[in-house]
Amino acid sequence: MGTRERRERSDEADRALAAAFSSLVTTLHKSESSISLAAVGGYGRGELAPGSDLDLLIVHDGSLGTEKLSEFVNAFLYPLWSGPRLIDHSVRTRSETRETAQADIKVAMGLLDIRFIAGNADLLEGVSNDAQEDWRRNFNKNFPALVKSVQERAARSGELAFLLEPDLKESRGGLRDINAIRAISRVGLVPVALERLASAEALLANVRDALHTVTRRNRDQLLLTEQDKVARELEIVDADVLMLEVAKAARAVDYVMDLTIHRIENTKKKSLFRKKSNLAISEGIEVENEEVSLISGSGAFSDPTFGLRAAAAAAQRGLPLSVDACLELAQNFQPLNNPWPRQAREDLVSLLGAGAAMIRVWEALDQEGIIEKWIPEWSHVRFLPQRNVLHRHTVDRHMLETAVRATHLLRTVHRPDLLLVAAAFHDIGKGFVDLDHSEYGEILIKPLALRMGFPEIDADTLALLVRHHLLLSSVATRRDLDDPQTIASVTSLVNDPATLELLHALSIADGEATGRTAWSDWKARLVADLVKRCLSAMSGFTPPAQMQLTPEQELRCQEGVLWTNITKQENTYEIEIISPDQVGLLAMVAGVLSISRMDVRSARTRSHGDFAVMKWIISLDVNAEPPTNPKLQELLKRAFTGDIDLSSHIDERIRNYRKFPGIPVAPPIARASNDFATNATVLEVRMHDRPGVLYAVAKAVTRFGVDIRAAIVATLGAEAFDTLYLTDLSGNALSEERTVLLANQVENLLLTQ
Amino acid sequence: MKLITAIIKPFKLDDIKSALQAYGITGMTVSEASGFGRQRGHTEVYRGAEYTVDLVPKVRLEVLVDSQEAEAVIDLIVKAASTGSIGDGKVWSTPVDQVVRVRTGERGSDAI
Repeated sequence: MGTRERRERSDEADRALAAAFSSLVTTLHKSESSISLAAVGGYGRGELAPGSDLDLLIVHDGSLGTEKLSEFVNAFLYPLWSGPRLIDHSVRTRSETRETAQADIKVAMGLLDIRFIAGNADLLEGVSNDAQEDWRRNFNKNFPALVKSVQERAARSGELAFLLEPDLKESRGGLRDINAIRAISRVGLVPVALERLASAEALLANVRDALHTVTRRNRDQLLLTEQDKVARELEIVDADVLMLEVAKAARAVDYVMDLTIHRIENTKKKSLFRKKSNLAISEGIEVENEEVSLISGSGAFSDPTFGLRAAAAAAQRGLPLSVDACLELAQNFQPLNNPWPRQAREDLVSLLGAGAAMIRVWEALDQEGIIEKWIPEWSHVRFLPQRNVLHRHTVDRHMLETAVRATHLLRTVHRPDLLLVAAAFHDIGKGFVDLDHSEYGEILIKPLALRMGFPEIDADTLALLVRHHLLLSSVATRRDLDDPQTIASVTSLVNDPATLELLHALSIADGEATGRTAWSDWKARLVADLVKRCLSAMSGFTPPAQMQLTPEQELRCQEGVLWTNITKQENTYEIEIISPDQVGLLAMVAGVLSISRMDVRSARTRSHGDFAVMKWIISLDVNAEPPTNPKLQELLKRAFTGDIDLSSHIDERIRNYRKFPGIPVAPPIARASNDFATNATVLEVRMHDRPGVLYAVAKAVTRFGVDIRAAIVATLGAEAFDTLYLTDLSGNALSEERTVLLANQVENLLLTQ
Repeated sequence: MKLITAIIKPFKLDDIKSALQAYGITGMTVSEASGFGRQRGHTEVYRGAEYTVDLVPKVRLEVLVDSQEAEAVIDLIVKAASTGSIGDGKVWSTPVDQVVRVRTGERGSDAI
């Protein structure tokens, strides 16, 4: 099994074809000057897998006439059609060949490997020269079609590194991609790292040879049922090792493909003297030519959280992280502290919460080994195959796909951050022999969560989610849901509604990411029924508690003047504001912070007599100046007296924000209820974060004619979660009707903004 | 020969499978199904007024048997599927003209 054998097969085919061709030429025409036979494609390269087709081109000079030509071709091909190999042939003159190649990029690429077998060698040399010359000359024109064909193939056949039953030829990172890279390298426009491909190509070709041998067919899809046989044929320990090797080879091909395309696009952009469109989005990070790149020499490289910040910024804008950015991050890698700073954790959640755009960014970082440096547990699941007919992907890709599915469910849970992290690591315990993956996952996830900086209580929730991520599916399908014991068996393990809703969302995301065989509407209904029954057996949700005032804060309230205090923290600022209360205060303060280019990460506010006490955690926008007490107080006073038109300033900020590309996100939701607090209506708003969210919510609430007694604002990754305690003007909870109306109005406002 | 079809509660599948295997039945087809009978699905009061009737998730089980075994197998399924509560399902049998095992070409009882 190897290059020598492929060459021998090709030589053998050559000899047989040459003999048949030459004898026929002699019999029919007594001259070889008007016609020749050539091999193209893989056969043209002199490499033939056991089951491969013979790709043949018969070139003629047009002098034979249709009848004679047809007689000759039929006489040549008929015996071959009954032979062991399939024949893929075409018959053309030199100029026809040239025209076809110009119209069809696949033909053009196949001709690059054209090789003479028999007949008139000069005639064929002309065709070969045309092919090489035209390929180089038309490359700029053909390049977009080439890239498109690579992308379409990937969309159709998936990725070789991550599929459990990949196509060795067609899948992304497979043999066809290697040919495309080689075709690009012939132009000599950019350096192509062909040396990185050599061992990958040899391995993939050997695996294909073995697959053809064991199946006795020309089939390139490596099915689960064949993998053990192929491994044995190649004298590889087992199918898992085989698939790991295939995945590594595919990743190498993938990487060279990305790098090569990236380099060519850069060359083209430079050569066109295009105006560079650089937009700074955060310190050291900018959007340049539809990808996120890092500003060379930026001081941000010394910040260990820089990589995650850049990754989150790219994914949240639906853009790739440039190859250069990944290389630079790898070269200048700074380990994260233990535990990670809050910013790093939030950026990880933002990255995971970006949906499908996350996968490309994650893979780019993974190729440079950065993910493993942040999360060493990842190494074990990288490319890890799973012998399970229900699954489609390797363990690492399955977890990322689960996180992508989870982004559709973020509005259904109170802690979207925990859902995303649980989704992305729920199978982290896989691949350890003799250990149950859920149990071992529970052991691995807790220290990982603590290292990420989650508090103990959240780490425990994550451990529970990982430990029981299969619980709901298995109970719903195998136990009697009418039996109170069944419900009790679930609620004894998961005893609060917030965790149950997380587990429900995780089950859905996991099932959907696994595939149709693992998750159907049928199963979804059973699981939903189980969850509903468990929820009704629980006591209900408790919203976040209102802020408790310190004696100092109460004292300041008695002083009767506006007071602010700004404290710089690691990547954020804490701003405490004590102000005389007035209608619309929360909206005004949120508005002032927003127009000062401060992004609210979290806040707690509480009314105390005629005063309001507010504690804000904010991070600064890239263009913001560090806040100062005098400046902030001046702005607040002007806002209170109506001297600043907050709305138009914020609208402008939103417009600027929208200049960047975005990703599809779930619509905002607003829910209000009187069940959670005494004498207050609790309004919960969940939406994708953007500038001015809290301003819009608070303004809508104020316009509704209610008082905001307290507010708890949280930003979890890229998700904003605001909880407002509201009363009517006489200090009571709203009527049921007004509660529903308020939630609808706030939701509609956020939907239309 | 008879085709026995059973519509059962999903969680009863394992019990029925074990019972049939113990009896000597070696093959069956299982599929996910939805429907309602007298049970009329879940009837719920929604926001005080609205009614919703859902299709209830069930499992559909199909077994091919010799005619003389049909009654015994039906009894076995009914016993294993029963919880005594509403929505336990139904079992029925239909006559089958011919059965062919694709791999060997065997026909009739030999193919079961």
